[in-house]
Formats: sequence, structure tokens, C-alpha cells
Amino acid sequence: MADEQTSTQGLLAVRVVTPDRILVDATADAVELPARSGYMEALYGAAPLLAELGAGEVRLHGGNSGNAKFFVASGFAEILPQRVTLLAETALKTDEIDPGAAKTELEAAQQDWNSAGDDAEKYSYAQGEIRTAEEKISAAADR
Amino acid sequence: MANVLDLKRRIRSVKNTRQITKAMKMVSAAKLRRAQERAMQARPYAQMLANVLQSLVRRAVVYGEEGGDVMHPLLVEREEKNVLLLVIAGDKGFAGAFNSNVGKAAQRFIDTRRAPHAVDHDKAPAEQNIDIETVGRKSRDLFKRRYPEATWKHVDDAYDNGLSHHIEDVRERKQPVELTHDLSALLGKLTFTDVDRSAHSIIERYERGEIDAVYLVYNEFKSVIAQRIVVEKLLPIRKLGSPEITAVEEMTEEQKEVAAKAAETAGISIHATEETVMEEEAKKFGTADVDYLYDEDPAVLFRHLLPRYVTTQIYHALLESVASEHASRMTAMDSASNNAGEMIDKLTLTMNRARQAAITTEIIEIVSGAAAL
Repeated sequence: MADEQTSTQGLLAVRVVTPDRILVDATADAVELPARSGYMEALYGAAPLLAELGAGEVRLHGGNSGNAKFFVASGFAEILPQRVTLLAETALKTDEIDPGAAKTELEAAQQDWNSAGDDAEKYSYAQGEIRTAEEKISAAADR
Repeated sequence: MANVLDLKRRIRSVKNTRQITKAMKMVSAAKLRRAQERAMQARPYAQMLANVLQSLVRRAVVYGEEGGDVMHPLLVEREEKNVLLLVIAGDKGFAGAFNSNVGKAAQRFIDTRRAPHAVDHDKAPAEQNIDIETVGRKSRDLFKRRYPEATWKHVDDAYDNGLSHHIEDVRERKQPVELTHDLSALLGKLTFTDVDRSAHSIIERYERGEIDAVYLVYNEFKSVIAQRIVVEKLLPIRKLGSPEITAVEEMTEEQKEVAAKAAETAGISIHATEETVMEEEAKKFGTADVDYLYDEDPAVLFRHLLPRYVTTQIYHALLESVASEHASRMTAMDSASNNAGEMIDKLTLTMNRARQAAITTEIIEIVSGAAAL
């Protein structure tokens, strides 16, 4: 049944684009992505959607993607019935993550958070940084 | 006339110099190729971001419900009283007029803004205050000599019986033109994250109203023979996707010819890099003729994306400037090598003449000596 379904369905073209490069250009049956409001999964034929990305892991399933996983932080996603494009400021293959560096980032962000005082903007910025670093560390542990 | 030995030495020294300039030219050519590639790879992202923002604008989420009032602080236009000028140059010299031209263009910008009644009255008042922010050691050194550095006063107000503190550095303007920050560190290893940080600081100042407009001065790179110095308005954003360029300085035909020759000998194409498939697709991104669902309020999405657009603009300017710098250096070093070649020819000729003269004198001496016998 599952096989039948995938054979009648097409594959999603998935792209992950960063300011520096095109990280991924593959096809997949399904894409899990971390939207700001929580994880979502896009399948072939999904309704067109624009969503902001939070920090977290993108998982590809099936196609020629080799079930690859990526870490992304801050960006947005465009989901079309046949195509998913992720624009991310930071996007790394999980094996590219340096856990040591991520830990230093986390510590720096925590320091910012502590010294933010009553500046709401700094505070929320630091909070975002902390979340990014934490997700990065967990993505690295998950590979 | 100089003696033969001296001339030989000079020729050797000029030859050594030519070796160095040739090597520098080839190194610059290699770096240029890489820089060009980077600039290319950055394009799809910028394009897609601009597209999404444009489509959000079309959905009219930017304007308030009463109509007319702009909802994002980065779109608000104010009278330009305090202007921030970001001058992007390089860290190193030996790049022809690359650094000095940017400096000149920036200085011209400052002079017109400072001159009373010289500016268009409806748009900008005369005698504006200007903050200069420099990228690249050359640009910093240039303006450090001309203008004083800005000063901040550290404020630490205790309130709630000393339980809380309000800590802030308040700007104290002493001169109309001051240097605020030096962002030269950005050039070392150009990463989007670092640029984002600096962009944030600029955006924050703009939103607070400390500055009313932000301009960039940099070398724009289209191809080896098409570079120009532009003054680009970064903030407020007037039209998404098409930067507002307020002043341009193109290359002269003569410069183009020299650059074309240098590129030819270094094996670099003089044509602007063609659009890749990816770029063409990037143009279509977000423009699909469908009604998107939004995972969140489009207005919120717009608010989050707009600052990123500003970062992308700065990042783009930096990448272009870096490519331009390598191209300029390549051209300059090619000219230097050619000049060295000419000089060697001239010196060799002089040396041969000197040697011939010495031989002739000797023969005359011998002949006249023999005749005297």
C-alpha cells in the first residue's frame, strides 16, 4: 500500500539555500522542517504555504535524499505542491557541526542573556541565540 | 653616463620587482575567481528573499488598516538630519585607485551634505550630521586622519532603591562629522552571521531614530571591465528588490582596456558571469500564482524578514567590494609588470650603449697609442 502510494505520487524537489551556497538540491517523499510555531511535515501535493523557520533539524525522507538531516536556524520556507525551498541564514549538514564551537556559542549567548539588563531587545535576541545553540548541540548529538 | 655594473644591478632589481608583481597578479586572479563565485552563490538567496518580501507587500500587509501608514520602522522616511555612511574599502594597498576612489566618493558625499544650501531643499536639509562607519583598514586610516572619533557617555542609573540599574551608553556628539565604529573585522573572514550582527546594530540605531538614513559607498562588481563606485541608499527602504543608487562613477574606456588586457593574460573572462539555472529559478521563487497559506500572521513574517533584507544588502555590497578589490589589484599588478618590462628594455639599451662607449674609448686609446709610436 505504501509503495503503491509513493509510486503514484511524485517526489518533492527540495532545496536548502543559504546566503553562501546551495546546501541541498535533492528529491524526497517528505520533508520535516522546524517552523517557528513547531515542526511540520510537507508531503507531495501540499497546499502552498509560507512559514518562518525556527532553529532545528530538517529531515528528508525517501527520494534521492538518502534520508539526510540538516540543521537550520532563522529563515523561511516556501512549500509548493511539488517543491519545498528553505531559505536559511544558517544551514549545516549535521556532520559539519562542531559541538565544541556550539557549546562556546551557547555560553556566549547565556552571558549576553545575563547581561541584557532591562533591554528587552537584547534579551529576546540572546534568547534566540540560546535556542539556536541548544538546537545545534542536540542536532550534533543526533547524527 | 652610469657605468655598466650599476646598470646591471638596476636591471636585476627591476626584474625581481617584475617577478613579484607578476606573482601578485596571478594570486589576485585566483582570489578574484573565488570571490566571483561567492558573489554568484549569494545571489539566489538575495533574490528569493526580495521576492517573498515583494509578494508580502503586494498582499498589502505592510500598510495599516486605515491605509497609508507604514507598519515597519525600516520603511519610514524621516527628514535626513543624521546620516550614517558606510564606507567599504580594502585592507591592503597595491590595488590601483581602488581604495582612494572609494575615499574620494565618500568625501564628496560628506562635502555635499555638509555644504549649506548645496543640497536639494525639499529632500534634505543642509549641514547634516554624518556618522562614518568604515570597513577595511584603508578606509579607516583615511577617515581617522580627517575626522574625530565619536564619544559615548556611560550612564548607570539606579532605580527601585538600587535594586535595578538602567545601563546605557549615550552618544555625545561633539563634531558634525564623526567616526562611530570600525567594522574592518568583517572583511577578514566574511560570514553572513558577522554581517548580520553589524547590520543589527545599524538597524537598531535607525529604529531608535538616532540616524535618519543609511548610505553605502562601495565598488560594485559586474565583471572585470565593468566596475563602478556607487553610493547606495540602504535605509529607509523605498523599493524592495531594487537598491536605490544615488551616485555612480563608472570606469573610463582607457581603464576598461587596461583591465581587459590584464584579465586576458590572467585567463579570466571579461564577461559578466551568466545567470545560472538556480538564479532563474530563484526569480520565480515566491511568485507562484497561488494564494499561500501563512503559518503565521503575514505582517509578523514581514517584520521578521525585513531586517534580514538589510543584512543581505550589506553582505552583497561586501562581496562585490571584495571581488572588485581583487580585480583592481590584478589590473594594477599587470600594469606594474608591463611598466617593469618597459623599464628593463630601456635600461638594457642604456647598458649596451654604455658598454659600447667603453669599448670604443678603449679602442681609440689603443689606436692613438699605437699611432704615437
